[in-house]
This record gives sequence, structure tokens and C-alpha cells, in this order.
Amino acid sequence: MENALEIKNLCKKYDDFELKNVSFHLPKGMIMGLIGENGAGKTTTIKAILDIIKSYKGEIKVFGLDNRKNDNKIKEDIGVVLDDMFFPEILTPNDINDSMKGIYKNWDTKMFYDYLKEFSLLPNKQIKTFSKGMRKKLEIATALSHHPKLLILDEPTSGLDPVARSEVIQIFQSILEKEECSILLSSHITTDLEHIADYITFINHGEIVLSKTTNELLDEYGIVKCTEKEFKSIDSKDYIKYRKEKYEYEVLVSNKKDFKAKYQIEVIDKITLDDLMVLMIKGEE
Amino acid sequence: MIGFMKKDFAMIKSNLKLLGVMFVLFAVMDFIGKMDISFILPFLCVMIMISTFSYDYYNKWDAYSISLPNGRKNSVKSKYITTILMTLIVSIITILLSFLISYMNTKTINYELTFISMLGSIFGTLLVFSFMYPAIYKFGVEKARIGIFVVVFGIAIVGGLLSQYIDFSFVTNSLTFLEDYLVIILIVTGILMVYISYKISEKIFRKKEF
Repeated sequence: MENALEIKNLCKKYDDFELKNVSFHLPKGMIMGLIGENGAGKTTTIKAILDIIKSYKGEIKVFGLDNRKNDNKIKEDIGVVLDDMFFPEILTPNDINDSMKGIYKNWDTKMFYDYLKEFSLLPNKQIKTFSKGMRKKLEIATALSHHPKLLILDEPTSGLDPVARSEVIQIFQSILEKEECSILLSSHITTDLEHIADYITFINHGEIVLSKTTNELLDEYGIVKCTEKEFKSIDSKDYIKYRKEKYEYEVLVSNKKDFKAKYQIEVIDKITLDDLMVLMIKGEE
Repeated sequence: MIGFMKKDFAMIKSNLKLLGVMFVLFAVMDFIGKMDISFILPFLCVMIMISTFSYDYYNKWDAYSISLPNGRKNSVKSKYITTILMTLIVSIITILLSFLISYMNTKTINYELTFISMLGSIFGTLLVFSFMYPAIYKFGVEKARIGIFVVVFGIAIVGGLLSQYIDFSFVTNSLTFLEDYLVIILIVTGILMVYISYKISEKIFRKKEF
């Protein structure tokens, strides 16, 4: 399967933070959820893909092309929603439409106004009069209206109420059905990702902890709930992380079936992405 | 690049009322003889363009613009072209106002004096921009704004003090032969300095990270 995005050994060093050999790939037509706590490296990775940061090591290919050598060509086919970065707030959606017509070759004015209508955004109102959720919707409408082949979305549902979030998620899904589009979506709201993401990539302290299909992850990973005595009987090679709760131990395992076959512990819960993040970040090895 | 320019002009458009008030205020001051309206040009242009940089800064437009096709190049280029167009538009309005005020005051219009005065004013405006823009791209609009004011006031104070103790007449006398070529010198120097400034800003922004 061809990749829409391919990152190999991406390294970027700051005084207080470092991206260490970040590698993952997003096959065409798929949605990848990029998860991790604040400051884990999600936005830095996205900035490197978009050339917003420059002095990094490693290889980034978008549609099979080197992102630095083919910067302008690939950006015609990328739609972005970046966290807190957008058009100046004294502009109106009408101004954004006028500007984008002169920036993207494929800008679709009709599509943009259709989205504005769908999101109930008035075209002649200044952005500063919009609520946070409305601004986010405008950013999404702007990202979608030039028929992008790759959407890079940094926290696109943050600040949206549950109804708006569900609307936005549905739009992403319908885009995938209608158009040949791939989506890289970073989000704290992991429940959104469980519903739509084909792949999950988890980044922690600048390192990729795992990158798997969502089904693989949710089917194979599990949380073992056991007593201290049971926990002590588990070989440390058979779990990833554990956490001592008030009355029990929560143990993250990467293969529920194998674990069940080896140990006589009954309670193995299905994992959610939230559980995974918490245990991976807060758990002990 | 047209799209980037449209964005800047849309921002300027949203401040049109304020600009109108400034024009009226300066026109009245000129009419009652308190100041020359040609001074409005650098003042207004700097104010307008700095405000576009400020809006860009507060909404992190520069980082967003890089995610757009040709963003790094066109973001800078459009700022310079918008500035030049803005300077020309404000110049034309100022010249027309100047003619009108001059006619209302004296029933005569001194075309030559008005044009020379405006040319000097345009040159001054472009000079300020040429120094200011690379500083803005390098240090950000807030630091650059303070820096420019410090430099301008510094030069004014040092120049003022020096002129009290040193006789510069030998310099001005030796340059009188240039008077005949003043218009050409101003135009060529103006174009050259804007071009050099643009190249420096482009280089800074090409390497800039957000």
C-alpha cells in the first residue's frame, strides 16, 4: 500500500525537549490518530512535516516526495488545522475566501461557502466575534476547501462541544468516503480517535512508543486487574507497565490471549486509548 | 502571492474609518498652518503596516502562512509589495489633499514644491520600512518597534547634539552639485534600499522557525 506520509528517524533538539528518531507511516486513504500528553512532541512533529521548523534531522516524505525539496508542490494538496495558528482575527470568512483563491490553485469557493452554511458561520462577521468552537469550524472549513489529499489536523476538535465534535468527526469520515484523502489527526480527546482512526501512533517524551492499527491495539492490548499476590506472580516480560491502585493492580499487557493462556487471572478489561495513555505515561515498568 | 496581498489589504480595509479620521485631522492641521500634510505619509504608512504585522503576530499567521503553498516566499514578498502600493495610494491622496488645501489657502498650487516634498516624504517612508522590516522578521514586531524608536530617537538626539558643536556647512556645500540630480538619486536609492531590505527579510524568514 502506498503511503501518504512517511517519517523516518526524525530528530529535533531544543534546550528542554528532544524528538528522538520519530518514525511512522500513514497509508493512503487512512486516518491516523497521533496521541500523547502535552509537550510529548505531536505539534513539533507536525511542524516538521509542514516545514514550520527547519533544522531537523531525518527524512519526511509526503506522497512519496521529500517534503523539503518539493515543499510548494505538496502543500497544494495538504489541508491544515494548526493549534492556535490562523488568519488574523479582524478578517471575515469572506476575506479568507478572497485570499485563499489567490493561494490555492484548487480553491473551491462553493465548497467553502457550503461548509460555512453547514457550520452556521456568517461570512461577513469578523473572526474575533466567533466563539472558540466557531473559529475551529472555520479553520476546518478552510482546510477542507481545496480538495486536499492529506489533512494534517492538530487538535481539530479542541474547544468544540460534543455536538460540534460529532459533526466534525462525521465530516472527516465523509471526506474519506468521497475523496482520496488521508488524515493525520493529533488529539487529546482520544474517544474521537477510537471511532474514526485506522491507526494510532503514540508519542511520549519525543519518542514513538507505539504505532499500530486501532483494531490491533484495542483487540490485543488489555488491562489486567489483579491482587498484589497475583501481580507478583507475573513475569515482568509479560507486561508493559503497571499501576498500583488503592485495592488492586492495573497491569497493561500487549497480548490478552497469550496472557490469559499463561496466567489464571480472570479480569482482563478491554483497553481504551485513555487507559493506554495514562498507564504508559504514569505507570511503572 | 495575490492571496497574501489580499489578506493584508483586507486588514487595512478594516481600519479604513480610523485612516479617514487621521486624514481629516492632518488636513485640518495643514489648513490652519500648524503642519505640512506631507508628514502624514510616513506616519500613516508606518502605523498601517505595523498594525498588519501586529495582527499577524497575535494570531500566529506567520507560522500558518508557512503551511500554505509558497508561504515562506510569498509572505515576505507580499508584505513589501503591499507596503509600496500602500505608500503610493497614501501619497496620491496626500498630494490631492495638499493641492486642495493650497488652493483654498492661497488660490495657487505650487506643483513643483508639492512633488519634491512628497518625493522626500516617500523616500523617508521607504527608508523607515527598509530598516524596520528585516528587524521585524528577525526579532518580532514588538521588539522591532521598540528598537526602531530607540534608534530613531537616538539618531535625532546625537544629531541634534553634534549639530550644536560641529559646523556641517562644509558637507552641505560640497554636496550642492548633487541638487540637480536629487530626484534621480532619491528614486534610485529608494529602489535599491527596498530591494536590499527585501532580500535580507526573505533570507531571515526562509530560515525562521516557529
